[in-house]
Amino acid sequence: MKLKMKLVAALAGSVCFATASFADGHLSLDGKKVGVAVVGTQHFWDREAFNGAVSTVESLGGTVVPVDGGRDNQVHADNHDILLAQGVDAVISILGDGAVEPKFEALSGAGIPVFTVDHQSPFGTNNTTSDNYYMGTTIGRYMADAIGGEGKVAVFNAFEGALRICGIRAGLWKYVLQDYPGIEIIQPELAEEFANAPEDARIKTLDLLSQYPEGTLDAIHVGCWDQPAIGIVQALEEAGRTDVLVTALDGGPDTLEIMAEEGSPFVANVAQQPNLIGSTAAMNVARHFAGETLLPQTFVEVLPVLGQEGAKAAYEELGYGTLD
Amino acid sequence: MTDALLKMCDITKSFPGVLALDNVALEVASGEIHGLVGENGAGKSTIIKVLAGVYKADAGTVEIDGHVLPDVTPRSVHDAGVRFIHQELHLVQHFTVTESVFMGQEEQTLLGLSTRAMRQKAEAFFETALGTEMSGNTLIRDLGIAERKLVQIARALIDNQAKLVVFDEPTAPLTSGETDKLFTAIRKLKEQGIAMIYVSHYLAEITGICDRVTVLRNGQNAGRFDEVFDDSAPAMISAMVGREIDELFPKTEHTPAAPRFEVTDLSAEKFEDVSFTIHRNEIVGVAGLVGSGREDLIDTIYGLAKPRSGTMKIDGVAQKFRAPADAVGAGIALVPRDRRHDGLVLDMSVSDNINLAALDTVSRGTLENRRAANAVATDMSETLDIRPRNIAATLRLLSGGNQQKVVLGRWLNKGADIFILDEPTVGVDVGAKVEIYQHIENLAQDGVSVLVSSSDPGELIGLCDRILVMLRGKIVAEVSTTDLGVDELVALTTGGATQEAVS
Amino acid sequence: MNQTLSTKLLAVFPIAVFACLFAYLSIESSTFLSLGTFELILKQAVPTVIVSLGLAAVVIAGGDDVVAGGIDLSIPATAIICAAIIADQLTNQGNTLVFAMTLAFGAAAIIGAINAFLVVGLRMTPLLATLSMSVAVVGLTKVITSSRRIGVTDESIVFIRDGKIMGVAASVILTAVLVVIFYHALHRTRWGMNMQATGGSRDAAEISGILTRRFVVQSFLIAAFAGWIASVFVLARGSGSSPGTEENMLLEMVLATFLGAAFSPRRVVTLWGAVLGAVVVSALSVGFISIGVNVFWTGCIKGALILLVVASAAVATKGRS
Ligand SMILES: Nc1ncnc2c1ncn2[C@@H]1O[C@H](COP(=O)(O)OP(=O)(O)OP(=O)(O)O)[C@@H](O)[C@H]1O
Ligand SMILES: [Mg+2]
Repeated sequence: MKLKMKLVAALAGSVCFATASFADGHLSLDGKKVGVAVVGTQHFWDREAFNGAVSTVESLGGTVVPVDGGRDNQVHADNHDILLAQGVDAVISILGDGAVEPKFEALSGAGIPVFTVDHQSPFGTNNTTSDNYYMGTTIGRYMADAIGGEGKVAVFNAFEGALRICGIRAGLWKYVLQDYPGIEIIQPELAEEFANAPEDARIKTLDLLSQYPEGTLDAIHVGCWDQPAIGIVQALEEAGRTDVLVTALDGGPDTLEIMAEEGSPFVANVAQQPNLIGSTAAMNVARHFAGETLLPQTFVEVLPVLGQEGAKAAYEELGYGTLD
Repeated sequence: MTDALLKMCDITKSFPGVLALDNVALEVASGEIHGLVGENGAGKSTIIKVLAGVYKADAGTVEIDGHVLPDVTPRSVHDAGVRFIHQELHLVQHFTVTESVFMGQEEQTLLGLSTRAMRQKAEAFFETALGTEMSGNTLIRDLGIAERKLVQIARALIDNQAKLVVFDEPTAPLTSGETDKLFTAIRKLKEQGIAMIYVSHYLAEITGICDRVTVLRNGQNAGRFDEVFDDSAPAMISAMVGREIDELFPKTEHTPAAPRFEVTDLSAEKFEDVSFTIHRNEIVGVAGLVGSGREDLIDTIYGLAKPRSGTMKIDGVAQKFRAPADAVGAGIALVPRDRRHDGLVLDMSVSDNINLAALDTVSRGTLENRRAANAVATDMSETLDIRPRNIAATLRLLSGGNQQKVVLGRWLNKGADIFILDEPTVGVDVGAKVEIYQHIENLAQDGVSVLVSSSDPGELIGLCDRILVMLRGKIVAEVSTTDLGVDELVALTTGGATQEAVS
Repeated sequence: MNQTLSTKLLAVFPIAVFACLFAYLSIESSTFLSLGTFELILKQAVPTVIVSLGLAAVVIAGGDDVVAGGIDLSIPATAIICAAIIADQLTNQGNTLVFAMTLAFGAAAIIGAINAFLVVGLRMTPLLATLSMSVAVVGLTKVITSSRRIGVTDESIVFIRDGKIMGVAASVILTAVLVVIFYHALHRTRWGMNMQATGGSRDAAEISGILTRRFVVQSFLIAAFAGWIASVFVLARGSGSSPGTEENMLLEMVLATFLGAAFSPRRVVTLWGAVLGAVVVSALSVGFISIGVNVFWTGCIKGALILLVVASAAVATKGRS
């Protein structure tokens, strides 16, 4: 508990650092009722963003009405109706697909501002998200460097067309690779499943490895997140392949731990700060009520992670503990 | 009674290996109650099923109201006005009386079910046609067995189209008080000119209500009684079994030895302060109406229900039975009341069923044990006259009564010092009853202590040395059976007399 | 005397638990006890109510033994595949709503017919047959949608989402009409009584001349029909077809239907029971949110409550037989 409080304080502090133009002294949500809606709490990212938003609203003196969609986008959308009926003063909505748009419209129509996380909407006041552009280009550069600027690469890329953030991340990764004519992306691209991603990716990787024997494949990249990478690394170990490198995006504690292992094939990542993202969204609510004008999007810094040592350092820096 | 309503002529029906009906004739006049009797396996149920269109006869004709039915199907028979009251109740537990009576023949208008009209009709039918009062809104599961039987009858007759109603052993699950209710209804139906076929093993019932009786033996006609008197039973019995039965009960005096099973101040939810002792070489009976606490007492003694207080001792050692298994472990053998339900594995052979309880003595597997098991089964099926005498036959193919004998054989087969027999002869024919009584008698001769609970007063008097009479949860009398009359025992169970008056 | 009193208490226990709970929620939250919240509860219960109607029909015709009796776990899957087909036809293929719905109806009819064949024709356990069916249908849905969301902007669908009829949410009114029709058919007609008899005791029904197999077949077709109808409301609720909806719906459907049995005086699955169950489950969700229960605890509390009620109903039935 104590540790968590410290963490929150530290993160809240770093937000203010990141947006140095405001002193945090005058920000307050005293007497405000803020709805925090999250699509699900099973995944680390979602849970952390949710926790970050909830604890920051509370530390700013507001009351939280929390709702969890249980990974069902429709339930998540419905939950916004309940928040509307509850008469909240603002809503922080984390993730979710198009099903929430009409709800956002109803909320803003009723004069309740909506602050989204990783979900851009015309009815939102502000969207807080990672710097996806930087993520996409950075991971492209890191991967190209890791394989020496040439070779064959397989990519798990199921969501490029479905989610805007994935379109940015995977698109910019490809954009960088245009400057490396020696790198070839294997077609067709692989499509990972959302549910049970590690196991699904493990099986698909084993198939892939049998098609591309020793020396004919240089890297496997996951375009928008890194849960599949857990299965990919496992498959490489099972097949005894040390010639293939892995890169992906997100950098939660579970994948950072894998990267920090001795001789891990998982060599590059860009870590997001989900707790900070949620927390920033909450700060934005307070700024809005303080009468400040917010930009449509707030970008939260990401942390490039390179190699075993880089993973250890990032793990500590993000407050997940220490690895040795 | 001149015009025949139903004429079944030369009916023959065989099953693989069994000639169940051999040129059988059955004739029922309109307005009469016609008894159909015979030993277990005689073919009673089979001829009823031929009439119902369930089995197709190999040969023979069925004529109703002077018209031969070209095709005997459930539908054509129903349309001809024949209704069946099956032995099984076949009711939906959570339905109301009205819903059950009108099942499959609900009345409705364009607006939906005519609930109120149906309820009024049903209630009126119980009142006028069956001579009893019944609320249409009561749920079946809240009714007693006799009332459920009446609901079953009402369902068959509510359309007022019935000319002939067939009852297959309707009183088997009923107690004597409940039987009266049913008889009231049957007599009411007769007043309305409805003919009935009445199948039963209880000859007293047959002589009590039937106008004429057809007797079957081994699938053949064995006699017809065109007049039935109160004392016709012995003649019917000899027609059924093909020989004279002069002694139903083996009359022997026992000299009770040392006490073996002692019950002191036993109380439970439905009975209080019950105390008695059973000695070696002794057969003790328990009599009592439904609700007297008799069934609950037996359940409590063998660990099926929990006692509130009191003690039970075997040979002076206190016992606590939390489950029937504990009672068995303490040397008690049980013939449960519900054996047809709980005890049968219909798809196993006669031999396997008989040996189920004794698995430790003739444990499974080896060839020798197999042989021993078969020997036991053969022995039992002879003692109890199980037909067909084929221990490898699948139980499902036996007649209802013969299935009963198989379960009974299983329990009797288990050696023990104390036997508790709950309704040992329900559904069993006269011939087999004699054998069962003899078997029980032999047990007592060998030093076993026996407790018999039964709803048949004649059976208790004939079999037991002493009878405990229960009424409203208490033992109200403990009488010796020497010189005890059936009417005296009935008077005691119904509270119409006290112990002093009887002795 | 004592016994009947305790059985009577036990009989009203499930209702009493929820009555107390809702009283507590009303006191704790200023917004819970209001017409607006009530409408919201009904609105959110809509898809569950409709699929529960289908499940209730199957249980009524098949009996309420969870393993051997009637159950259809494929109704939510039917609803989401129909939703996917309609969304795909409207948005991706540019076809009309009528065409899209007809196509979805065909799919639902095939699912219902296969279920009926597996259960009645091949005598498979309904639990097993419909569970496999559900898995297959969900898989097929993924193929149709590539596991992606398909948004829908069709006017009729939007009307069901936002529209009002006589000042009340259109989805609620339409569902109420549907419930009344189902109720009339299943509880107020001869056909419905025969279906109930079929589930109550197969033997008794057959002896009464009821063609029981036909009723079981019909119940699975009704279930598929309910799935088809539900798909329209699912589409309206999500303004399109979103992946991942079937699991939650399956859970709520089974809960609502059997919770309803605990409320019914006869302790059997009924139509009203299922509807009430669905509304109660929805009210719980809304209620817990309105008093700000920690999201990590809601599932646990809900589950415990439902277990309590269903267990008390089981005890009550056991005490009676
Ligand atoms: N489906 C069947 N297949 C083979 N044999 C059968 C079948 N049904 C009855 N039997 C045999 O036909 C004979 C007559 O049986 P039935 O059931 O008619 O006797 P019952 O007179 O009703 O006897 P109980 O008094 O025991 O009910 C018996 O030997 C029985 O084993
Ligand atoms: Mg019979």
